[in-house]
Amino acid sequence: MADDATLRRLLAGIARGDAACLADLYDLTSPKLYGLILRIQRDRGLAEDVLQDVYVRIWQAAGRYRPEAGPPMPWLATLARHRAIDSVRRKTEVQGPDLDNGEDWVARLIDPHDASAAFLDRDALVACLNRLDPSHRDCVVLAYCEGLSREDLARRFDRPVNTIKTWLHRALAALKTCMEVAS
Amino acid sequence: MTGPGTPDPDDPDLRAAEYVLGTLDARERAAVEREAARDPAARARIDAWEHRLAPLAAAVPAETPPPRIRAAVLQGVRGAGHAETRRIADLRTQVRRWRITAGGAGLLAASLALALMVVPFREPSGGRYLAVVQGGGTLPALIVRVDTRTGIAQVRPVNAEAPTDRSLELWYVGAQGPKPLGLVAAGQSQVRLPAGSAANGVIAVSVEPPGGSPTGQPTGPVVYTGKLLAE
Repeated sequence: MADDATLRRLLAGIARGDAACLADLYDLTSPKLYGLILRIQRDRGLAEDVLQDVYVRIWQAAGRYRPEAGPPMPWLATLARHRAIDSVRRKTEVQGPDLDNGEDWVARLIDPHDASAAFLDRDALVACLNRLDPSHRDCVVLAYCEGLSREDLARRFDRPVNTIKTWLHRALAALKTCMEVAS
Repeated sequence: MTGPGTPDPDDPDLRAAEYVLGTLDARERAAVEREAARDPAARARIDAWEHRLAPLAAAVPAETPPPRIRAAVLQGVRGAGHAETRRIADLRTQVRRWRITAGGAGLLAASLALALMVVPFREPSGGRYLAVVQGGGTLPALIVRVDTRTGIAQVRPVNAEAPTDRSLELWYVGAQGPKPLGLVAAGQSQVRLPAGSAANGVIAVSVEPPGGSPTGQPTGPVVYTGKLLAE
């Protein structure tokens, strides 16, 4: 993964309208963003549409990136995740097959696929996730990493939607408290 | 919050958390985004949750997208979208410069657009001068001839194009902010400068609804500007 300084320089170039900077940013970041999008929007055709839309938005919005708000990669990842979630929430009737049943995202997080200096505070999040009730934790992680809706989670855990909602709220409230203590 | 085990489901912080998590439906997501657009506190709640959960994104493996996406992205931004976006970026720079040099010009919204390469030509007789106002291309967009003794400006569009169903409106931007001068006609036209116009004002052209701005202030992007330099 590219270092923060390079990504910041490219975003600044994009904000000035330099298409060559967009090409470089695409080459450095599109595998990560496509990976994030594809876990959420499993229809590859639609995932490709989302990826294209994300880079058009980066082209338009690069000027709104504020270095003081944090490193560029999480900013880009946030943009990609939300567009992917919008894409699956718009089209709730079809959802492709699971890419990987039972992927242990928390385990992957402890031993992440890519060097993730850009994603700070990992240890606190992992520690606090592991303190949650395992089902509650899985709801949080599956929602974030795979874009599962409350309804998807209700089916996955064979519980009413309202129960899932309560689980999510408890998990998120506990996570926040735990991370405030940890930080 | 009603107790440690049962968080209040209407807690705005939990809504922000669920927005970031992605478990809200399309309608709820849109409502959260609208709120965040107008309420900095709501925006801050979302940002805090993005920050808390962001490490999870590191766990998701990368995957190389098909090459056609790269081609489509770059073709898209180098085409029509590129010129427009580039123009707006240039404009922002230009507006910042105005704020420094022209004071009142800062009243124009920051989203306004550009002015490049204003080339004043001195004329031999006092009190008159020409300004060639250019957009991005090689041809001038407008030629403005100002006679400060009569307060009349002659405007000759050369290559100023209005988007379909829009009018181009001419403005004098002085210390009191933008004052409308009238629409840019297809041929040469005369406009009267507002009383008290200083020769160091700025001439700007904005894109407006047909017939001109309904508010008396520029409402659309400023597509051309040119500084009037006193002789």
